[in-house]
Amino acid sequence: MQRHHTRAATILSTLFMGLGQIYNRQFIKGFIFLIVEALSLTYFIEKLGRAFWGIVTLGTTSQHFEKVKGIAKLVKGDHSIFILIQSLITIIFFVLFLIAWYMNIRDAYKNGAARDAGQTPGTFKQSIRYILDYKFAQTFLILPSVGILLFTVMPIIFMVMLAFTNYSAPNHMPPAKLVDWVGFETFHNLVALKSWSHTFYGVLTWTIIWAILSTVTTYFGGMLVAMLISQQGVRFKGIWRAILIVPYAIPQMISLLLMRNLFNGQFGPINQYLKFFGLGGLPWLTDPFWAKVTVIVVNMWVGIPVSMLLIMGVLTTIPRDMYEAAEVDGATNYQKFRIITLPMVLFSTAPTLIAQFAGNINNFNAIFLLTGGSPVNGDYQYAGSTDLLVTWLYKLTLDQNKYNMASAIGIIIFLIVATFSIYNYRRTKSFQEEDMIQ
Amino acid sequence: MKMRKWMMVTAVAAMATSLAACGGNNNNTNGGNAAATNAPSESTAPAENNGGENTGADTAQITPEDGASLVVWESKEERAFADAIAKEFTEKYNVPVKIEELSPTDQVTKLSQDGPSGLAADVILIPHDNLGRAASAQLLLPNDVFEQETVKNNTEASITGASYDGMLYGYPRAAETYALYYNKSIVTDVPKTFDDVLAFSKTFTDKSKNRYGIMWEVGNMYFNYPFIASNGGYIFGDNGTNKDDIGINSDGAIQGLKEYVKLKEILPINSGDINADIKRSLFNSGDVAMDINGPWELAGYKTALGDNLGLAPLPTIGGKTAISFAGFKIFGVNAYTQYPNAAKLYAEFASGKDAQLKLNELVGSIPTNLEALEDPQIKDDAYISAFAEQAKNSQPMPSIPEMGNVWSPVNAALPEIWDKGADPKTAMDKAAQQIKDLNNGASQ
Repeated sequence: MQRHHTRAATILSTLFMGLGQIYNRQFIKGFIFLIVEALSLTYFIEKLGRAFWGIVTLGTTSQHFEKVKGIAKLVKGDHSIFILIQSLITIIFFVLFLIAWYMNIRDAYKNGAARDAGQTPGTFKQSIRYILDYKFAQTFLILPSVGILLFTVMPIIFMVMLAFTNYSAPNHMPPAKLVDWVGFETFHNLVALKSWSHTFYGVLTWTIIWAILSTVTTYFGGMLVAMLISQQGVRFKGIWRAILIVPYAIPQMISLLLMRNLFNGQFGPINQYLKFFGLGGLPWLTDPFWAKVTVIVVNMWVGIPVSMLLIMGVLTTIPRDMYEAAEVDGATNYQKFRIITLPMVLFSTAPTLIAQFAGNINNFNAIFLLTGGSPVNGDYQYAGSTDLLVTWLYKLTLDQNKYNMASAIGIIIFLIVATFSIYNYRRTKSFQEEDMIQ
Repeated sequence: MKMRKWMMVTAVAAMATSLAACGGNNNNTNGGNAAATNAPSESTAPAENNGGENTGADTAQITPEDGASLVVWESKEERAFADAIAKEFTEKYNVPVKIEELSPTDQVTKLSQDGPSGLAADVILIPHDNLGRAASAQLLLPNDVFEQETVKNNTEASITGASYDGMLYGYPRAAETYALYYNKSIVTDVPKTFDDVLAFSKTFTDKSKNRYGIMWEVGNMYFNYPFIASNGGYIFGDNGTNKDDIGINSDGAIQGLKEYVKLKEILPINSGDINADIKRSLFNSGDVAMDINGPWELAGYKTALGDNLGLAPLPTIGGKTAISFAGFKIFGVNAYTQYPNAAKLYAEFASGKDAQLKLNELVGSIPTNLEALEDPQIKDDAYISAFAEQAKNSQPMPSIPEMGNVWSPVNAALPEIWDKGADPKTAMDKAAQQIKDLNNGASQ
């Protein structure tokens, strides 16, 4: 009889939420749990079967038209994608319910054990007090957590699931056609089917090259400009700063589209000037190689101001006496830069640098507004020579409705960005606490 | 078309900030789709009579549902027409109509996302080559109540364009194709053949001064279809319905493309450097003598050139009449509409004879309605009748869903030929193979 209350309360709560609490004489809490389970049951009896059916089959009847007195009427069928979302939501709620159920059992168990030990379980008031005093933060985090679950986690799961379906135009577009699970076929096509893989590897390679070059050029370009401006003896520093920040301040929507005109190979002013000075122009946007050069150069123009501001801020924090000491020791300007400035700046800005790198992998604006992925590439599937994975994804989604392929690419982009970020974060000294600068 | 507006703003800004001549850049990734901007409409008797009286004997008469109200997606460019016709419709049927602006080329995409959720417009306006995509996804209600009227009152080509898989879905309201704009102060003899164009341009073109006898978007399949089609090439066989019969690399197409290659001599520019905005500014300033373009440029060109603006059918290619792409703007009724009757009535009303004439008057468009085409308003308009003349030698763009697989490969092959001098046969074979791959599942 030693553990009598514990076992009885646990079993009762397992059978029906709240029974164990009532058995433990915690009536209000028990009733709340009872109501929760009752409401949940009515919800799940109606929905859960359909949710599991839906997520397994993704619908079985497709829609069609029926003639009624010569007029076509729409007979609605299953819309695979709606079914997928609804099933997903139901299942998420079901998981939440299971968590609540588990907590209810644990609560019954603990209070039963307390009774076995000769204590009286707390009253409802005491429970509330306990929560307010000790579990306040956890309790009130439930609300945002549910929000995050529904608005962040759920769409991500949904996107990941799409990659394993054949949801694409023209043969599997709901509502007319059903969507089916195809497992890893989409990924397999992407890396193994020649027509897709050629584009994928080509675009992926360029994306990586682009991310590295665009980050490095803007960062060191910004550093150079910042150091030049903060040199002693440079006058009108404020004006320099203001002028250099202008490219960043103009919306890229305007400035990049403008650039696109400036770089026109035949009519653009840049080539016109080059010709005026007797130089042949360059095919800035029409040759695959030069188009890549152009996007990197223009991106420097847009990106350097950001790095410049950032690094200027850091430069002001470097103590002057370090330079003075170095001068006393007879250090040259280059040595001062290498030993003092560079490490200090790198240390403070490393996290931003990583963020910029990840951002450049997904730098939609620079490519989409400047070249739109052009010049066209006859060997690529729906992509041009300067398309990044993210602009390719955009074209696949909006122009071609290949949602499954776009999701697969989205997952791959996510994996790439996440891997780089985590690896870099872990290796960056700024995240490993003090004593970073030797 | 928001994008296009932005690009025009940009073009203006670019010109202001530079001494050199410079135009906008309008890189049209989706091929000829974007060419469809303006068009006329046609309509049948319902414009004057009660909708019910016009329906065929074997179809039910329809009246708007009680409490019906409609949302209609219209293009920004044709807003003036949309507002006017919506007002007339509301007066007649007492059904409020709300107009929302959306580029016609985006409407099917938006419909496929929002239609099933019940958030899309009741009546949409699309270029007919998007019809296959919408109809095969069962997003549109067939045009059944007004089928007989529509077929009887409109040109055959427009009915073909508004049908998919043997079923009439659309309510055609305007046709569009392209023709040869020319500047009368420079071109005295309108060229009859592309050899004439070549001969004239040799005297006029001066690359160093950015002066060209002729310019058109050489990398865009939409405008270069005459080179493919005039000597017997085609895109899909069986009048554009057989996805397995691809004719862009047929002998006829290659023969035509050889004529195309010859023209590089008088337009020695990379295809990527030519776009609608640049072309427009050069033509307006008299630096380009001839331009192959559609009715959507008409109003602007008239303003810029006044009486010097001339318009003629396309010159012949290799001795054969030039066959252009024809596009039709058609109304479609959302399959998920709450008020199918009201929506059908609106589509019919806004595409009738009077509506098409109004569209022509307000926006400038080519009717598809047979009576409207005979109307003095159209007949006496030199420009519209020139387009109508060209339209007689045009073929509707294929509207099967596989058409979506054609644009990018061909728009990539044309620059290969034009910019890099690739052999037309090799380039087109490659494009044809890609289309085949896409049609047969590489993209599923």
